[in-house]
Amino acid sequence: MALAPSGMRTPAPPPVDGGRPDSAAAPRPRRRRRPLTPIMLLVPTTIVLLAIIGWPLLQLVIISFQEFGRPQVFGAPAPFVGLDNYADVLTDSAFWAVLSRSFLFAAVNVVLTMTLGTLVAVLMMRLTRFFRLLVSIGLLLAWAMPALTAVVVWGWMFDTQFGVINYLLSQLPGVDMIGHSWLIEPLSFFAVATVIITWQSVPFVAFTIYAGLTQVPGEVLEAAQLDGAGGLARFRLIVFPYLKSIFIVVTILQVIWDLRVFTQIYALQGIGGIREQTSTIGVYIFQTSLGTGDFGAGGAIAVILVIIMMSISIYYVRKSIQEETL
Amino acid sequence: MRKLSIVALAAASALALAGCATEAPVAEEVTGAEIRVWLVGTDTPQEARDYLVETFAEENPGNTLVIEEQAWGGLVDKLTTNLSGSDSPDVVEVGNTQAAAFTSAGAFLDLSDEYEALGGDDLLPGFVEAGSYDGAFYAAPYYSGARVVFYDTAMYEAAGLSVPTTLDEYISNGVALAEANPGVSGIYFPGQDWYNALPYIWENGGEIATFENGEWVPGFSTPESIAGLEQIQNVMTNASAAPEDGNEAEAQVPYCAGQIAQLSAPSWFKWSILAPADADAPGCPDKEESLGVFALPGMDGGAAAVFAGGSNIAVSANSAYPELATSALAIMLSEEYQTILGGAGLVPALTSLGDTIGTDATAQAISAAASNAKLTPASPNWAEVEAAGVLQDFFVKIAQGGDVATLAAEVDARIGEILNP
Repeated sequence: MALAPSGMRTPAPPPVDGGRPDSAAAPRPRRRRRPLTPIMLLVPTTIVLLAIIGWPLLQLVIISFQEFGRPQVFGAPAPFVGLDNYADVLTDSAFWAVLSRSFLFAAVNVVLTMTLGTLVAVLMMRLTRFFRLLVSIGLLLAWAMPALTAVVVWGWMFDTQFGVINYLLSQLPGVDMIGHSWLIEPLSFFAVATVIITWQSVPFVAFTIYAGLTQVPGEVLEAAQLDGAGGLARFRLIVFPYLKSIFIVVTILQVIWDLRVFTQIYALQGIGGIREQTSTIGVYIFQTSLGTGDFGAGGAIAVILVIIMMSISIYYVRKSIQEETL
Repeated sequence: MRKLSIVALAAASALALAGCATEAPVAEEVTGAEIRVWLVGTDTPQEARDYLVETFAEENPGNTLVIEEQAWGGLVDKLTTNLSGSDSPDVVEVGNTQAAAFTSAGAFLDLSDEYEALGGDDLLPGFVEAGSYDGAFYAAPYYSGARVVFYDTAMYEAAGLSVPTTLDEYISNGVALAEANPGVSGIYFPGQDWYNALPYIWENGGEIATFENGEWVPGFSTPESIAGLEQIQNVMTNASAAPEDGNEAEAQVPYCAGQIAQLSAPSWFKWSILAPADADAPGCPDKEESLGVFALPGMDGGAAAVFAGGSNIAVSANSAYPELATSALAIMLSEEYQTILGGAGLVPALTSLGDTIGTDATAQAISAAASNAKLTPASPNWAEVEAAGVLQDFFVKIAQGGDVATLAAEVDARIGEILNP
């Protein structure tokens, strides 16, 4: 509406017509009141968002262009160094190793979480009320557990010396797992991390998709069934298209969460494993900033991550908007 | 609409509250102030904590002191974020090897004027050095804790061994004990425990890093250090049953389970073993009879150069009540308070109180070990080596059986990068 074609930008409205101003005067206040209310409604949110997200983000971007170490945290002046931090980060092989590791890890976790979550949601549709309640409570408990607590509990279960997993596996004839370290090999470390993270992410996916499943009209499914569509065909051709937007949103959220995962990896590194071989991008930013005290480089990595995240979300958001308007 | 205005109101009040926090402190006759003291770990005994709170309340009527206990893990990160904020704790304990990161950054209040009043030349010299930067005194010594070897006398007797007098004997005892008792660590040595790896390096004549011509030269790949690292790998593979990637925390659990014959640990570890069986972190007081202790022997007899663990204590530069905070710090360096620390097996910050740790076997081992204790490189960037977990990773890889020379070259490159930015 605001973008009038440039050809229309004629100088002033013609004051020639005598009758027009009067007739235009009446709708004008009405038209003004309408845009004002939404703006007023948006002002508080915008201020809050600017204060709690915009301001730190701006600080982050500024720091990423500065030489910012521990002395600067305590008030020393921070000189601007241009793109030095970015150049250092982008030419550091450790950064690329961490980034590709994070993407791989996120991909595995997203696929696993979405598959398991969908299966649980479909299962819940078929359960009786009692068992559905039982499953819901179980899911809620896993979901409600703080991430750090979950890692500590799972860490004890996978403990090298006293873990229940090693103990149970050793009960099998011919297996001696006592003293086996689950975290020392990077692949095994990430397998444990995947178990913890998937375990905690499935409930959200399951609940959301279950909510969506209840909205799929039964008569359509029934009609399809009469036409001879099997369970898989019904899910692929009817349920999935109905829930496509839900799947897209949940997948984006999972990608973002799994890509920037911090607590689980950081806490697990304290229990065992080799930091250098197991850091994901979130942990790497923390180690660079607070561990090594190089907030400039840490800021640069964080900005790069923000850009990656935004391009992922923008792609999907645009795609879903396009589909809605079509 | 209503929801939004609630959010807006909340934001507005948050901003208003934030404004209050910057209120200027009144220099004289402060009342109603709360001084927050951060103590790290469980090393400081409860008796000392009570003494500090009570004495502070007596000396500063109307004001209170609260102790907030922090964990050693991630301490550098936590101090960086908290000391720089407006909600900074007033007095903080910091590991002696970490102090330089903060003194050089201006995080602590300059205590040079208080130096004489706090004890002057009676303060532990190495720790005063660790707490000073550019000629100013920022962080006072708090206590020192030497590492000593705890061992199971019953297992020693059963294997027919006697207390070792050289490092080689200590290692061969460890290997013999591990062979005689399957599943037991002759020397408990989890991979991340780099503090206990240092004596092997130092006793062989190696160094972590030396300062030459204005630059730090890392020393893990010198022939002397390599000899030490090979000893470490030998202990880790042949004498230790500890997790290759485990850390040294909670070692009383395997000890009480009878899975440790010898381990090197800070002197206060004794109290973790002897903690009541129903404590939050239960120990095994019934093992007191078979708990022996000696100072780690060196290559040529005598006490080995062990890592001088311990803490410094400082006032935050952002403290709202610097005078009250300094008076709290003075209480912690008083003879009474330091005597309590000495009684708990910690080496007091005042050298004149050295005999307060007693005369029993543990005390003798502590004194012997403290006499030859060494520190990590005195670089402001050293704390970053620790916080990045460089040495933990390094020794885990050694425990895994990696090639010592290759790993040493790698870790030297990393340490060099951090120490010479």
